[in-house]
Amino acid sequence: MAPTKDEAARELAAWHFGVEPYLERVIRILAENEDEPGEPIKLLEVNGATVATGNVEAFAFAPSKSLPFPITIAEVTPEEFERIARHELPLPRGWSLENSEQFPRPRAA
Amino acid sequence: MTAEQRRPAYARAFIAQARSDWQAYRVLEQAELPVCHHLHYLQMVCEKLAKAYRLRDTKAPVDELVATHSGFSKFISAFFTAVLKDEYVGKTLQLGLLIQRSRKLAREIEKLAPALDRAASPENAEYPWERDGSVIAPCDFGFSALSLLRQSGSRAFLKLVHRALDDFESVTLP
Repeated sequence: MAPTKDEAARELAAWHFGVEPYLERVIRILAENEDEPGEPIKLLEVNGATVATGNVEAFAFAPSKSLPFPITIAEVTPEEFERIARHELPLPRGWSLENSEQFPRPRAA
Repeated sequence: MTAEQRRPAYARAFIAQARSDWQAYRVLEQAELPVCHHLHYLQMVCEKLAKAYRLRDTKAPVDELVATHSGFSKFISAFFTAVLKDEYVGKTLQLGLLIQRSRKLAREIEKLAPALDRAASPENAEYPWERDGSVIAPCDFGFSALSLLRQSGSRAFLKLVHRALDDFESVTLP
């Protein structure tokens, strides 16, 4: 059975923690129209292994067999995330931390 | 042209140019020329590739996306997560190492862009720079940090770039 959008987002975050040792947390951004079919799963990933670029670059991908939802992913350093939280670094248009779901790094990952 | 028409049009143009740069890179890689030449093309491939993926599907203003630098090292992780995940089932360790190695190479390749942080890292593939009282031409420089590219394990990184170029139409939103 195909996963629900919520399940797919959780599985993706869990999988990514497994392969990225410096991934600190994954934040799923929820839109007002999150239930609309074309609305992508939007993940903001805080990764100590990435490079600061001073902006939040979101890359979007089409649905696939195992992930039947469009997905948009942006990766930032922990320092960039602090700037986002202080509203010094803007998120992509339509993204907000106000309406989001946090996936902290599991202890065993 | 509306913004909705310009975004995919620019994305198609950037991926076309990235593919053409890739062909030039492959020719130069085989040529008996200083390494700066093929590295310059590889840097341009990576930047345009990341820009093409960014442009096609985001809601950001087109002109801003065209004008600003797109980080290829930030693209890598997203591409693995969204596109290559299924191909590495049961190979978590290998994938982790591949991501790590690819990030490192992507970072070094990004530094080759002359416009990027010239003060901290003046070495680039295009224009001369000054270091410790000497002026150095890219064609006389060895770019040892990128000698990794010639090792067999790093061929996976180049395959990743090739794959991202090939898969653009199938993995981006229509």
